[in-house]
Amino acid sequence: MLNRQLILDKKMDRIRSMEESGTFKVHKGSRGMQKMLHNKLSIAGLVIFSVIMITSMFAPLFTSFDPLAIDLKAVLQSPSTTHWFGTDKLGRDVFSRVLYGGRISILVGFGSALGASFVGVLLGAWGGFRGGFIDKVFMRVSEIFMAFPQIILVLLLVSIVGQSMRNLIFIFMVTGWGSIYRMTRAKMLSIREEEYIQALRAFGIHPLIICYKHMLPNALGPIMVNITLSTAMFILQEAALSFLGLGVPLQIATWGNVLNAANDLTVLKSYWWIWLPVGVVISLFVLGINFIGDGLRDAADPSQQG
Amino acid sequence: MLQIPLNKDKDSCMDSDVLVRVKNLQTFFYQNGRCNKAVNGVSFDIKRGKTLCVVGESGCGKSVTASSIMQLLPELSRIEKGSEITYFSEKGEIRIDQQKRNGKVMRSLRGSEFAMVFQDPMTSLNPVYTIGYQLAENLQYHTPLNRKERKKRSVGLLRDMGIPLPEERVDEYPHQFSGGMRQRAMIAMAMACNPKVLIADEPTTALDVTIQAQVFDLIMKLKKDRNTAIMLITHDMGVVSELADDVVVMYMGNVVEAGTLEDVFRSPSHPYTVALLRSIPILGKGRDQDINPIRGVTPDPYDRPSGCQFAPRCDFFKEGVCDKCMPDATSLSKTHSVRCWKFVGGSGYGN
Amino acid sequence: MFAYTIRRFLTLIPMILIMTFLIFLGMDLTPGDAVSFMASPEAMANMSQAQLAQLRESLGLNDPFFMRYLTWLGGVLHGDFGYSLTSGVPIKDIVLSRIPATLELSVAALLISTFLGTILGLVSAVRKGRPVDHILTITGMIGVSIPEFFLGLVALLLFAINLNWFPIGGRLRPEYTVYWDHMKNLILPALVLGVTMTAGVMRYTRSSMLDTINKDYIKTARSKGLPEWRINLVHGFRVALTPVVVLIGFRLPILIGGSVVIEQIFQWPGVGNEFLGAVRSQNYPLVMMIALFSVFAVLIASFIIDLLTAALDPRVQLD
Repeated sequence: MLNRQLILDKKMDRIRSMEESGTFKVHKGSRGMQKMLHNKLSIAGLVIFSVIMITSMFAPLFTSFDPLAIDLKAVLQSPSTTHWFGTDKLGRDVFSRVLYGGRISILVGFGSALGASFVGVLLGAWGGFRGGFIDKVFMRVSEIFMAFPQIILVLLLVSIVGQSMRNLIFIFMVTGWGSIYRMTRAKMLSIREEEYIQALRAFGIHPLIICYKHMLPNALGPIMVNITLSTAMFILQEAALSFLGLGVPLQIATWGNVLNAANDLTVLKSYWWIWLPVGVVISLFVLGINFIGDGLRDAADPSQQG
Repeated sequence: MLQIPLNKDKDSCMDSDVLVRVKNLQTFFYQNGRCNKAVNGVSFDIKRGKTLCVVGESGCGKSVTASSIMQLLPELSRIEKGSEITYFSEKGEIRIDQQKRNGKVMRSLRGSEFAMVFQDPMTSLNPVYTIGYQLAENLQYHTPLNRKERKKRSVGLLRDMGIPLPEERVDEYPHQFSGGMRQRAMIAMAMACNPKVLIADEPTTALDVTIQAQVFDLIMKLKKDRNTAIMLITHDMGVVSELADDVVVMYMGNVVEAGTLEDVFRSPSHPYTVALLRSIPILGKGRDQDINPIRGVTPDPYDRPSGCQFAPRCDFFKEGVCDKCMPDATSLSKTHSVRCWKFVGGSGYGN
Repeated sequence: MFAYTIRRFLTLIPMILIMTFLIFLGMDLTPGDAVSFMASPEAMANMSQAQLAQLRESLGLNDPFFMRYLTWLGGVLHGDFGYSLTSGVPIKDIVLSRIPATLELSVAALLISTFLGTILGLVSAVRKGRPVDHILTITGMIGVSIPEFFLGLVALLLFAINLNWFPIGGRLRPEYTVYWDHMKNLILPALVLGVTMTAGVMRYTRSSMLDTINKDYIKTARSKGLPEWRINLVHGFRVALTPVVVLIGFRLPILIGGSVVIEQIFQWPGVGNEFLGAVRSQNYPLVMMIALFSVFAVLIASFIIDLLTAALDPRVQLD
């Protein structure tokens, strides 16, 4: 404990002498960007995210194998210079499956997040601004959706509408709009009481314009954060569902589908390259997103401690 | 038994009534990589049975001064070397500035010999515990009473403070009290162990004017009955004129004028004091009286003017003198002192 | 407190009714002849077409929608949940036999994550900015990023298969005699299920604690000369805990949902595992009923959490 006091004292002495000699650089540029860039974790997150994103987007540049090509002569090979992640039970190159699978997984995750957010923000903004009967109805509806454990609701819908990528995105949107709806609504409720909004109303500006042009931009900060974190959540959900064989149909390569092989105990024990690297990639990608989301949240938050 | 480090100093209080002597207090804040000299050389005495009023605008450092005396400062701040806060206890002198912030000595002083009442009783009381519980806590750590006795004492304290039906109130939560009653409860909590010094930091700013009078009556009664030394922080000159024995006027972290109530109100010397007194509208003079605000604004603490801090707003500013450095304190009488270049040297301005 | 309890309970009822309605609607919309899950298969096997038609009539299957809903609801309230499409076993029996396992798992995970999460969050807040805080924060972020099932797989491989510390999945073995014997089967799945929740709770406790430490009443407590540990614990932590309890309430559905996947990986014979099987075989009645039960579980758990919150923070009861 004594050490810490000494360290603090030294730090304070240093600050004091700097202040007294007037050596201070004034920070230019927006404080938000400042905070983001200073946050080492966000940078790391951005790097991880970009690396994985780019290798998936430009998959053909990084691998020459077709993710769906079955090669029964090269079954269950461990990692080598030809097959960086080895091959699976049907001789498919695991590395290329991971890269191409990334495309679909990211697409599903981000697409669902955007879609759910679009619906949630649209409804939440109006609900928070105007309120009224329709708002109460939607609040009830969102409560009902949120009372279901999400995965159970998703599986329920999957069993009814069937498995397909489009269905999955749709189902994710339907189950995921609730939380962003509530968050936007709450934020709008608080912004509504601000004085500049009262002023706009007094000027007779049309409510639609007030709501979507003036109030919404102020709520964008938390919305951005929410979209980022939702993407992470949906990617994890798709992975879990596909792992169970109930997500994206098995013919399409996704991260979760690649992991599906691990359901077999022998694969788990003896052929680690089939499932372990994919899992690590998913974890890293989601971790990157979380770091970025955290950085965004810090940047959007006006309070800060020395 | 607690070992309080004693300071049998040659410089012991000449006035046997002085309880706390603050000499050249400097408290700096270190946040966001900047150094804010919130209190920059403040000296005064707190005397037994007397009320010291510390007046000044928001941001002048009065609350920080109070917090420094009780060492209730936030983590990224410190009382700088050269500051002296001496408490003349029954057992001898204790140098508060040399004690560890939350160490045994400070903890034994807080609550039992020093007590503080804060500005907003709603946020200053813990919402999830009853008033009785929070009162008894104080007693638990500073007195040897058992639980039943503590409860009895708590009820008695609430009654003393003028809270009706104290037996029921003692088991209620802060949000069930009205604003004035909450502040009374806070005072009850502060006075629980009969402290020698009560520091009240703008105790009525968050309350209605009608309640103000009641709370101040209460504080004055306590002072009379128990001979408590009171340090009252306020920005309201009216309150000062009613309650103060001694006055200290602060501006931007310095004491610009200090003296008895008579000294400061009958013969205000520092231009700031004069301007403050002049800016108060006079009751009865009507709507058309002149309002005299002090011109200018309080400077940014990170971008202070050079020399006397009040110089940019002062009607008596003299170039070359007032913007060079802050003047030392000049004694106008045995009790009255001021920090202004006008009074330095034979004919003022350092000549 | 009592009045608050009653009020909260009354708001549950409309919600439950809406849920049952939706589930029934879902069941009605799914393909299949309703008779097959409303009557026991044995009885149906011996019936002729005419008798089946009579049965349909008697079961009220030709009545308007709302009538059928009410009849079904009545049945549910009496404990008649219909029959599984694939096995013909009464759904009630299936669910009842599976609930204890899932309950064990969920409660264990909840307890672990609550205790571990709040304590680690407290440590993180009190030691803010120091190495411990950084390590815990990053560990927490890693915890929420790893897919639960992947963590389960890794844990299974490492601790059960390779290191042999725990049994490889399943819940009961013939050699278990006393109830506590199978605890070692519970540890791994409960820990894995609790990881995500722990990370979330830890993070939230930290921020809640940091918020609370800056409050005025902390300064008041310190001005009374109380020791630091009491200020942090009694005044800080206790107040910081309330929003955390609310958060846990919000995350309960995730815990219940998470058991679906975890039960699959560890072959834990719970309701979640059964649900997966039902979805795979399009056993709609079972799917719907289990979904309904999960909602009940969430609603009841939220109710309990609400009561807990009101007990912790007396201001809540004013609502």
